[in-house]
Amino acid sequence: MLPERLNKVIHLLARLPGVGEKTAQRFALFLATEAGDVANHLGAELTTLLDHIRPCDRCGNLADYDGTAAICDVCRDTRRDSNLLCIVARVQDLLAVERSGAMRGRYFVLGKLLSPLDGIGPEELPLERMINRIREDKVTEVIVATPPSVDGEATALLVARELEPTGIAISRIASGVPHGGDLEFADQITLGRAIDGRKAIDG
Amino acid sequence: MTASIRFERVNIRGFRNIQSLDFEPAPRLNVISGDNGHGKTSVLEAIYAVSTSRSFRAERLAEAIQTGAEAAVVRVQVRDGDLGREQRIALEPSRRSVTMDGKRPAKLAIYATRTPVVVFHPGDLVLVSGPASDRRTLLDRLALFLDPTSGDHRLRYTRATRERQRALLERGTNASDLPAFETLMVQHGTRLQQARRESAEALGAELEPAFRKMAPSTLEFTTSFVPGGSESPEEFARELASRRGQDARRKTASFGPQRDELELLIDGRSARRHASQGQQRLLTLAMKAAELACVRAARRAHPVLLLDDFSSELDPTRTGAVYDFLEGSESQIFVTTTRSDLFPTPAVHSADRVDWTVCDGRLERG
Repeated sequence: MLPERLNKVIHLLARLPGVGEKTAQRFALFLATEAGDVANHLGAELTTLLDHIRPCDRCGNLADYDGTAAICDVCRDTRRDSNLLCIVARVQDLLAVERSGAMRGRYFVLGKLLSPLDGIGPEELPLERMINRIREDKVTEVIVATPPSVDGEATALLVARELEPTGIAISRIASGVPHGGDLEFADQITLGRAIDGRKAIDG
Repeated sequence: MTASIRFERVNIRGFRNIQSLDFEPAPRLNVISGDNGHGKTSVLEAIYAVSTSRSFRAERLAEAIQTGAEAAVVRVQVRDGDLGREQRIALEPSRRSVTMDGKRPAKLAIYATRTPVVVFHPGDLVLVSGPASDRRTLLDRLALFLDPTSGDHRLRYTRATRERQRALLERGTNASDLPAFETLMVQHGTRLQQARRESAEALGAELEPAFRKMAPSTLEFTTSFVPGGSESPEEFARELASRRGQDARRKTASFGPQRDELELLIDGRSARRHASQGQQRLLTLAMKAAELACVRAARRAHPVLLLDDFSSELDPTRTGAVYDFLEGSESQIFVTTTRSDLFPTPAVHSADRVDWTVCDGRLERG
């Protein structure tokens, strides 16, 4: 029904996360019929995207690549506390923590979570790079901000174990009741987890 | 105060052989009759699905979508004490969604305990005669009412156990990620172990008197819960660490609540192996009565009782016991049978009983 070239575009668009066959078709038809300049601009940007954007050499966040090195904005920012390091699973998680404004240190992106069932063992994780980074920057405190899933918890435990010999302070982000929420509206499971992960009151 | 739970209106569309069905059940007893294959069990299954988001049949719930229909939808008006609410489940080929008063629940495990139902169907005989896994499933279902976090611990424990087994198989007993997964197994396994013991105790306390009411007094019936793991974190961790080699060789985790057993003993001997067919039937019924009593106590409400295919195995002892049990119950009851005249309930006031006939997926009064 549609030209082969357009079908190919639909097929490629449908591989994007969150985009199904129908949305892909809508995008493709929009690009082909109503937005010639968007299609051209998008095409030009995409052709060179991977030549200019790479994971940061130091932390794994996305960065501009100048032909020799890729260092991201967070790692360049000299006002940040280089002794404090937050370990996250994905770039999306880094952005989420960054939005909170509560993190004044730097990050390390693991890229994936430990998951033997999906074929991801400890050797698939960049643990050696992480330890080198910690040594080089003389990091004194690590916050592990992996998600509260089984794989996220296992990864946090593995990271903590790997870092144990260094003697630096390691903490795990808390999970539980959202800020401003009344306890009576929290579901039992979330509240149960918050109680399991309770902490002492510093007075 | 024990509240009563009542379905006031049931609407089923595209569910198995039911194209469209809308009825207002009687507050006490609903006897649904009809020939086999006309949709009696589907009515009960639909009520169970909208209450728990699951099926009591072995098949996957997605298979309940009627051929040619886009989705199966069950909608019910529930009266829970003084409060009314609407619950709805929609099944599509690749997903199911539930809502309560139009809102999606935060957690499925919590949704599943809001409108308590207890089902009794012919396949339940495996509770007595079948493998330990069926009895663990019963304990887990009860545990959700006693401790809503237990289902979450069970899912996490199971996942961590599978991850550890895979790590063991692929990287051996010194794999550097084993301690991480074993730590999680201990964390969630001890909690699951505790939840299972507590539901076994609650069930056991109701089971023995329930059985005594139904069976000849000469038989002595006891239950014994045999944990497969430990509630002590230290012991759990020690056992896991020391069993790595064995677990890798046998390709299965040899310590933990996945090996829990609820033993049923008649005169001190395993009911599974030594009880007669008749005794096993009575025991199954006693287990259901005990489940009902436990849910009632935990939820402070009379659960709705779904009794499937009553006529299939008529034997006089069991039938008498069922009548006593049903007529004494304050629950709303749905029962399916091939012939409603085989189901006399003289103690139930005639205004409290409605007989329904299912034919080709349609339901008619009388």
